[in-house]
Amino acid sequence: MTPTDPAARGTAVRTAVVRPPLPVKLVVAGGFGVGKTTTVGSISEIEPLTTEAAITEVAAGVDDLSHTPRKTTTTVAMDFGCITIDPTLKLYLFGTPGQDRFGFMWDDLVEGAIGALVIVDTRRLDDCYAAVDYFEDKEIPFAVAVNAFDGEVEHTLDEVRWALDVSVEVPVTVFDARERGSVRDALLVVMELALARTEA
Amino acid sequence: MADGPAPAEADGFTGPDGVPVGAASAVRPFLLTQGRVAGHASGTAIPVEAQIVATTAGIEALDRLTLERHAIVAACREPQSVAEIAARLRLHLNVVRVLAQDLRAEGQLSVHVPNPGAARDASVLRKIIDGLRAIPDSRGVLRDSD
Repeated sequence: MTPTDPAARGTAVRTAVVRPPLPVKLVVAGGFGVGKTTTVGSISEIEPLTTEAAITEVAAGVDDLSHTPRKTTTTVAMDFGCITIDPTLKLYLFGTPGQDRFGFMWDDLVEGAIGALVIVDTRRLDDCYAAVDYFEDKEIPFAVAVNAFDGEVEHTLDEVRWALDVSVEVPVTVFDARERGSVRDALLVVMELALARTEA
Repeated sequence: MADGPAPAEADGFTGPDGVPVGAASAVRPFLLTQGRVAGHASGTAIPVEAQIVATTAGIEALDRLTLERHAIVAACREPQSVAEIAARLRLHLNVVRVLAQDLRAEGQLSVHVPNPGAARDASVLRKIIDGLRAIPDSRGVLRDSD
């Protein structure tokens, strides 16, 4: 810190008192109850926080003769945590609000994200389709992580990959949302993928 | 839908003591922001991870600020993300975005929006990878931050 020069006070009015770190973010997505908040909480240095956010729901015109997508804004709870990498760099983990249905737009949350971890419960594979479609469409690096509830996975990773129909570049892994080291490794898969893209 | 203010303008809250913006947390977000919404057509919303810090002017002006505006500046003595402020003050994310824009325009907060290229900057990504690798398996062991 440079000492404050009283003469320069007038021009320093807009100066921040403390220099903030560069904030970067990963998104943790998946269906309702799949373990997103547990995942964030296992590795975050703070207890996961919750805030209300607005997301846009695009209603597919199923019972709408005009077939024009209707957009509605919904307020949802969003959980997040953070990891201070060093004093200049802080990683935020944002959980997408828990939605099983298609058609939610998380653009506002996802804009500028390094990548995403899509969490899957193999008992309810279809809950994660919306997230997979979304990140494929946005060309955001993502990995699929099967949450091994009680150490059990009902399908092999090949079956999961087949069922989700993700491209060969998308890593599919197993992890335990309750284990810090396991969450760390799953996030590292996303990070390595994002890094590989910058070098491609 | 009401037009938002141009980003550079500090209007809307030009009263000498600020505008009474509702006394209870049960107040609708629209009342807190005087009907304005974040992320309107004339400018993109502040990202959820953007860091907000009080300026010296903001700290000096604390006595004159009221309610949510006071709470936001007071909470930002240490840098915080928009999302953290919203969560800690139990305000809707978009309310914090709108009020933070006002406070920035008035010079009481500085808003640090991450460079959009940061997420694709290999040196930034490598630092994060190294930082994550340093996290031990167990919760019990504290990370050694030299």
